[in-house]
Amino acid sequence: MNPAGQLSNILYDDVPVGERRGPYVERVTPDLAARLAGEIGEPRLVREAPPAIFPVMFLRALRRAMGGIPAGSVLAKQELEVDEPVPVGADLEITTWVGEKYVRRDRPYVVIEFDVRRDDGARAATGRKVIVWPTGPGERR
Amino acid sequence: MTPAFPPVDSVVTQRTIDVYAELSGDYNPLHVDEDVAAASEFGGTIAHGPIAVQSLFRSLTAGLGASALPVGTTVQVTYRAPVRPGDTVTAHVRPAEDPAGPGRLAAECVNQDGVTVVSASVTVPEGQ
Repeated sequence: MNPAGQLSNILYDDVPVGERRGPYVERVTPDLAARLAGEIGEPRLVREAPPAIFPVMFLRALRRAMGGIPAGSVLAKQELEVDEPVPVGADLEITTWVGEKYVRRDRPYVVIEFDVRRDDGARAATGRKVIVWPTGPGERR
Repeated sequence: MTPAFPPVDSVVTQRTIDVYAELSGDYNPLHVDEDVAAASEFGGTIAHGPIAVQSLFRSLTAGLGASALPVGTTVQVTYRAPVRPGDTVTAHVRPAEDPAGPGRLAAECVNQDGVTVVSASVTVPEGQ
């Protein structure tokens, strides 16, 4: 299971720092919220978006910003700040950018920032992912 | 007063991982391609990071008696070890000791072998 167009192979050297992408609009459908409210994929009806909605929105925005999920990347850290509630059915606007990239203990890291707003403009959440990048400085695949 | 947060188990299967790939659009081969994952440093497929945190989110919302986290909540997660199909991940949430304070929580998600797969710091606004 590896649909075409879902993966990207951006080299570490080519990851642009500070370039904002989006906003990307994603809807919190009742089905999506329900499948993230309890055990993943086991629907549980909710009226407000569960916290697991945000990591999914981060990934969807990342995929759209980079033309696919970076193949072979590994998540090292993740942070989330909740600013406003999100009702089920809302459209969210997600802006994303690379905050920084660095090498520590011979491992290349990329920090990706997210700003999530409701369609009324209110900030719903912010967050970031620290990813171990599949290539390091000067490396080709 | 900080509410009590129940330990919550999540059973992770390849089906869980495939569903999460569908929901998130993250088809990283380390998660969904058994051949590629087998040749990687992990030796097999691993769960998406947020799957490992799902039991923590469920413990927090259960303790707070809500489906969402309250405004002002912060969650900082460090991934310590991979979660693999067949693992059971249990979240344990307790008041934080360093630094201690109102609404400050510490959490670990551990697998069935007692290995910490996720550690987390959580701050929940006072009065929740």
